[in-house]
Amino acid sequence: MLTSAVTAAGELGPLLRARLAGFAGFLRANGFNVGGAGALGLLEASQHMGILDPQVLRLSLKALLCGRSDEWRRFDGLFDAYFLPPNKRIFTEGNIGAAAAQDDAGGVPGGAQSQIAPGTGGGVAGDLDGSARHGASREASLASADFRELNQARHAYEMETLMRRFARRLRRLRLRREAAFHHGRRLDLQSTIRHSVSCGGTPIRLSWKERRRVRPRLVLLVDVSRSMSPYSFFYMRLARALCTQLKDVYCFIFHTHLTDVGSALGDPDPWRAQERLHLLAMGWAGGTRIGECLRDFHRDHGLRLLHSRTGVIVVSDGYDTGEPALLAHSLAALRRRSRRLVWLNPLLNQPGYAPESRGMRAAMPHIDLLAPGADLASIEQVLPRILETLR
Amino acid sequence: MPEIVDLQRRLEAVGYVAESSLAAALLLMVKLDRPLLVEGDAGVGKTEIAKSLAAVRGARLIRLQCYEGLDVHAAMYEWNYQRQLLAIKLLEHDERPTAVKEQDIFSERYLLKRPLLEAISCAEPPVLLIDEVDRADEAFEAYLLELLSDFQISIPELGTVRAVTKPLVVITSNGTRELSDALRRRCLYQYIDYPAFEKELAIVEIRLPQAGAQLARQVVDFVQSVRRMDLQKRPGIAETLDWTAALLRMGISTVDDDAAERILETLSALIKTRDDRAGFTREVVARIAAAC
Repeated sequence: MLTSAVTAAGELGPLLRARLAGFAGFLRANGFNVGGAGALGLLEASQHMGILDPQVLRLSLKALLCGRSDEWRRFDGLFDAYFLPPNKRIFTEGNIGAAAAQDDAGGVPGGAQSQIAPGTGGGVAGDLDGSARHGASREASLASADFRELNQARHAYEMETLMRRFARRLRRLRLRREAAFHHGRRLDLQSTIRHSVSCGGTPIRLSWKERRRVRPRLVLLVDVSRSMSPYSFFYMRLARALCTQLKDVYCFIFHTHLTDVGSALGDPDPWRAQERLHLLAMGWAGGTRIGECLRDFHRDHGLRLLHSRTGVIVVSDGYDTGEPALLAHSLAALRRRSRRLVWLNPLLNQPGYAPESRGMRAAMPHIDLLAPGADLASIEQVLPRILETLR
Repeated sequence: MPEIVDLQRRLEAVGYVAESSLAAALLLMVKLDRPLLVEGDAGVGKTEIAKSLAAVRGARLIRLQCYEGLDVHAAMYEWNYQRQLLAIKLLEHDERPTAVKEQDIFSERYLLKRPLLEAISCAEPPVLLIDEVDRADEAFEAYLLELLSDFQISIPELGTVRAVTKPLVVITSNGTRELSDALRRRCLYQYIDYPAFEKELAIVEIRLPQAGAQLARQVVDFVQSVRRMDLQKRPGIAETLDWTAALLRMGISTVDDDAAERILETLSALIKTRDDRAGFTREVVARIAAAC
């Protein structure tokens, strides 16, 4: 493939240089995080390792240009697509298939599928009686949502104030870890001695230790299925207000599959945030598979996002078409990994509603706090309780 | 390719079975002078890479274990305050001018070298292992980036210490925290997955030759089926080796359904959480063992 263009192994011709450097751009277009230095490093690496052997080139570029595990898994396919002629690709497509199957081995089939083609996952599961029986259905909706409401001026100010207050209160929560502090109760002996050196060993300036204040990390999992549609936008606006106030917030929406909307919500340009959400929102107001989505979250993001300081907030009405056992299992796993698990149910305040749907019943044993929250007023009432729980 | 195969063979000689992608990355790491970032689940042999690399090159291994709250003093350098104070007392009646005394107190004799300073002041290039970098906080990661780009550490009282030789840096991460893009971009990357059957068999045979071909094959088969189960904590290679050693110690020479009772007793070497352990009843073990 490449050999035809090479005359001497060491020096690369201009054509070949362009072709190789173009690979960095190709990866970038495919969502790889390759910086401007990537193309330079690529040329340098190929000069060092030689390019006559495609296998060597593949392995060295893989080490050089990948930065995280999902890139690592996708690399081989992209390498083949860029460098190999189409008639050679079948062999490698088998490889990719095998890798994907391996990925799925830990989970249940369907998870990966929904990642590749958002919105089609439900079609495969194809449930005919998907008519929204008591709010929940297994159908994935292909419709995207209208996000104009996201930037509604009404309430925006109140919401921001509320979230700012919430963020400020979160800051008061403390950790056991200690850090240097300008005053406090415990003497930092090491630092005191260090400062005393300049005074000939007399400790004139004392240093103190105090428990460090670190806000808990928040993970928001918002149900945007059809039964939740009256509240979805409200919660998205709330999440957006929170994302702009706090740094360590991660936001996901779920219906029949899980989507990360954190970076889109945090976009400082409100109109661009709107556009990006529009693209992400395929499947909005479709069916609900809470258990599967929470399991996917735990599998794909759990290790990265959950630690002993994480508060997980699930917003859902609990109308689930999946297996209650799976929901209970996923929640238990989430609960074990995080600090607290809060479930906000917008229906809770409605007269005559009791959390007795199958999903809610399965979830109850694993929740630290079940709270209502259908509008701003009720959220305001609930916030102190959430803070108390996170403490 | 011959270079890569040669390195694989040398790694195997020191007891590490490396895939060609890893060998290529290690070669590239030496040629491009870049650190290598290794990610993967716990127990797949990330730390072992640095140890084997040091053994192959006959270099010193310097290890920095990261933890939450790790700061510059614990990672780079610290002054030996106690000795300094003592020296100040001793120098009180010294006739030399103050500037000279001060220079003496802040000389290298009173400097405690921590791993990072140690690594850049070696005469021969060592292998520097920065283990579980995701446990340290972001601030430390920024320090690390500075070190990895310039290979120099500035000590206010002493001046800048430049690297005599550049160490080979291996960074491992378990993915408990998202690393910064800047760090990822500066490093070569390697993701280590759970090994396939052949690779794991080769590892068991190299590390525990006394197990014998039949037991090794059965053990690996068993572990591979356990890994396919829905577990909280899937066993890594370290667990496979532990478990094989446990079987040998208990005098179990074949894994089959007759030995299920005794295998059950050794499973604590393989299954590490209570929930997972509860799933392994005698019947389950017998069924997996019979298939081996």
